Amino acid sequence: MITPSVFKAGYLPGLQDHEVEWQRHTVGAPHSPMEVDLPVLSHEQMSALAQRVQAASTAHLKTMTVSDIVHVLEKVTSRLLDSQDPYRIELEHLLPKATGFDAEMVRLNLTSYLQTFRGLQLHRFVAQDFNNPKILDEFQPRIQGGWSKALGPDLMVHIWAGNVPALPMWSFIAALLVKSGSIGKISRAEPVFASLLARLLAEVEPQWAHCFSVVWWPSEHTKEQSLLSQAEVVLAYGGNEALNDIKTSIPVTTRFLAHGHKLSFSMISKTALSVQKGHHVARQAALDVVRYEQQGCYSPQMIYVERGASVAPKDFAELLLHELINLEHKFSPRELSLHETTQIAKWRDSHELIALNSNSHSILGNASSKSTVIFSEKPLPLSAGPLNRNVLVVAVDDLKEVIAMISSQRNYLQTVGLAASPEELFKLGECLGQQGVTRICALGSMTSPEAGWHHDGRFSLLDLVRMVDIDASTEREAERFTSYEI
Amino acid sequence: MKWHCKVANGNISTNDIVTELLDFIAQASVSEEDFNRLALKIFTHQFELNRPFQKYCQGRGKTPRMVKTWRDIPAVPINAFKDLTLSCVEPDQCERVFMTSGTTRHDVKGRHHHPTLAVYDASMLKNFSAHFMSQDKSIRMGILFPTEEMMPNSSLAHYLGLAIKHFGSSNSAYYIDQNGLQFDLLCSVLRQAQSSSEPIALLGATYSYVHLMDELEARALTFKLPQGSRLLDTGGFKGQSREIPMSLFYDQLSQKLGVDPSQCINMYGMTELSTQFYDRGNQSVPSIKRGPHWIKSRLVDPLSGQDVTPGERGILVHTDLANFNSVVSILTEDVGVALGDGFLLLGRAEGAQAKGCSMAVDEFLKTAQ
Repeated sequence: MITPSVFKAGYLPGLQDHEVEWQRHTVGAPHSPMEVDLPVLSHEQMSALAQRVQAASTAHLKTMTVSDIVHVLEKVTSRLLDSQDPYRIELEHLLPKATGFDAEMVRLNLTSYLQTFRGLQLHRFVAQDFNNPKILDEFQPRIQGGWSKALGPDLMVHIWAGNVPALPMWSFIAALLVKSGSIGKISRAEPVFASLLARLLAEVEPQWAHCFSVVWWPSEHTKEQSLLSQAEVVLAYGGNEALNDIKTSIPVTTRFLAHGHKLSFSMISKTALSVQKGHHVARQAALDVVRYEQQGCYSPQMIYVERGASVAPKDFAELLLHELINLEHKFSPRELSLHETTQIAKWRDSHELIALNSNSHSILGNASSKSTVIFSEKPLPLSAGPLNRNVLVVAVDDLKEVIAMISSQRNYLQTVGLAASPEELFKLGECLGQQGVTRICALGSMTSPEAGWHHDGRFSLLDLVRMVDIDASTEREAERFTSYEI
Repeated sequence: MKWHCKVANGNISTNDIVTELLDFIAQASVSEEDFNRLALKIFTHQFELNRPFQKYCQGRGKTPRMVKTWRDIPAVPINAFKDLTLSCVEPDQCERVFMTSGTTRHDVKGRHHHPTLAVYDASMLKNFSAHFMSQDKSIRMGILFPTEEMMPNSSLAHYLGLAIKHFGSSNSAYYIDQNGLQFDLLCSVLRQAQSSSEPIALLGATYSYVHLMDELEARALTFKLPQGSRLLDTGGFKGQSREIPMSLFYDQLSQKLGVDPSQCINMYGMTELSTQFYDRGNQSVPSIKRGPHWIKSRLVDPLSGQDVTPGERGILVHTDLANFNSVVSILTEDVGVALGDGFLLLGRAEGAQAKGCSMAVDEFLKTAQ
């Protein structure tokens, strides 16, 4: 595949390039910017596209079995995992350019991410939500009597964010598994992955060529998109303000699945902080911080550390900083915008001002390191930081105290990276769950959710479908209308 | 005055500094060495008398022994005016404290203590005379901002009070009272000004002009103020009015009041400073802002504090010698770029727009409010 100097984003089946208006944007790091042409469709073009996608999904997706769909997706994933495949090569080339993330970081994370979309994992993904996956193919008998079938939407609209590369894959694949036609709106910050995925899907299964589309519009025009009223399900990622705009622009009959801003953090029990284990724990915690520069909803912004182990919380903070600095060599930090550096400077300065008046507060890291660890001996409530390898470590006497420190963020909680003994796991898990946490995982795994995870506590596939029931009474009565006499 | 008695640990007293500063401000121009010498002297004075500032400097390894030029003086983030008492003189012995309007952290206000207003006033008057009054000794003024009595802790109210007292002709007046802009009165004054040949100057907060223009629009009124009339706006919209792109703002202002954009001066000032910056009209925006010889600005990378490459955008740091009692160098949250003998102001460094689902600190503060 030849990569021209300007990346043409989107996937617009049935439309020729010259029929569409293109807007050129510059994305990526200031020192190596990347030019992207983004399509701006007229209302008529968008509406016609939606109808085509809807019709094609009825003809070509709804007629396939889930197993056949998984077989196609399996082929797509295996191509994306093949380092020699032109699509993979292009992704490895373009994703770091578009997002500014370190190329090696993107490569490694992409591989581990794609592994969750292999055949076996996809089957598990379906089974997670449907005890009997055949219910997606045909009416299945219910044990109590009657029959049920799960129907995916005719048209689903996705509004994707650009914080983490390849993020659109979750909902894109989920829609295909429930046989839904999809129109996805890419973010200007990461227009690459969804565009290439759509092209590859159509290459691997030409019948699907019109079953989905990848489009764009300026975020401030979301409210005016009539497309939103054509969809049966709208799924969106973004800030609460943006989500609210979408919510108010869709009909009340449309199902709206919102993934808003989230806060994630880590907790480390004293059981994990022996002299032998401390280094490893710090390494894993640092990896969670470094991967995608804390831009993911699952990335930790604070770490609560329990006192009472041979590695004291402050020692842990030092170890963490050491690991973060080591990782700067392996994964070079992203070049930041002036707005981002200002935000970091403000965050550091505000902690420096606290440190001036308090011995229990300290700032680790120096001007030459890109990572900062702030350490507090005093308990602090969960709060968001400026991302980009800046993390707040807080010492507590007992991890149970953390529960009170996160309660004010209930609506925003998502992942907790937890290093604790098996005995503590369920006790803490119960309390965290009650506070609003929806995922608990090992340190070092925060940015790699497993296949079939309940994103923000919801069902990836079940939330997309509607069930059709044939009541037992229908079947019973139908017996009276046989063509033959009984 | 109380601050008179206060003598520093070393041999520099506050009133020595004040005397020297007033003399420095009064000069027509100064050399870089003169500026440097006085900046370091004031820095040393503040380092010795202001404990929080001393700790801040020590934390960065920047003590008077290490700091050799004004550029090395640690710039204190403006937020520190909220968290620390940045004053060499005991706050209760200060003549006046100016407070920020608190647009960002609404419950905490930044406090700038002035043991005497002599320096602030000298700085304001000389600079205002040069950049707003041009050749005129006085002009009829209409102030679109509350009086100093109504807002004793507002540096802008004091600034405008000085303007009207020293440069306003006898028919000058305030057109804001407890109920806001006095439109009827102001309109009749503008109508009368229009039919006379006496120029008028309106001075006020940027958002007051938006309210004025909205009202003029509603009343379908436009004016053509006499030659020599001019406008001064400052401070931006601060959420007090709708926001308009600045080029449109000056176009509309010029249309509604009949004052050429070249006579629409924007003043850039801050509660945390004792000196202001002015442009030479707003025919094109953003316009170059310039300060007098007792203030110097740098553009820095906010993380390293190092100067950015010339021509690149950075965060503004101002070294204002008139800030003799608080901190001589402040780190703003304003983005700028150096141009000619001044800088362009490119707006406030808002937190990076969150791109996705990880909540960043600014978004967090919004939800926490």
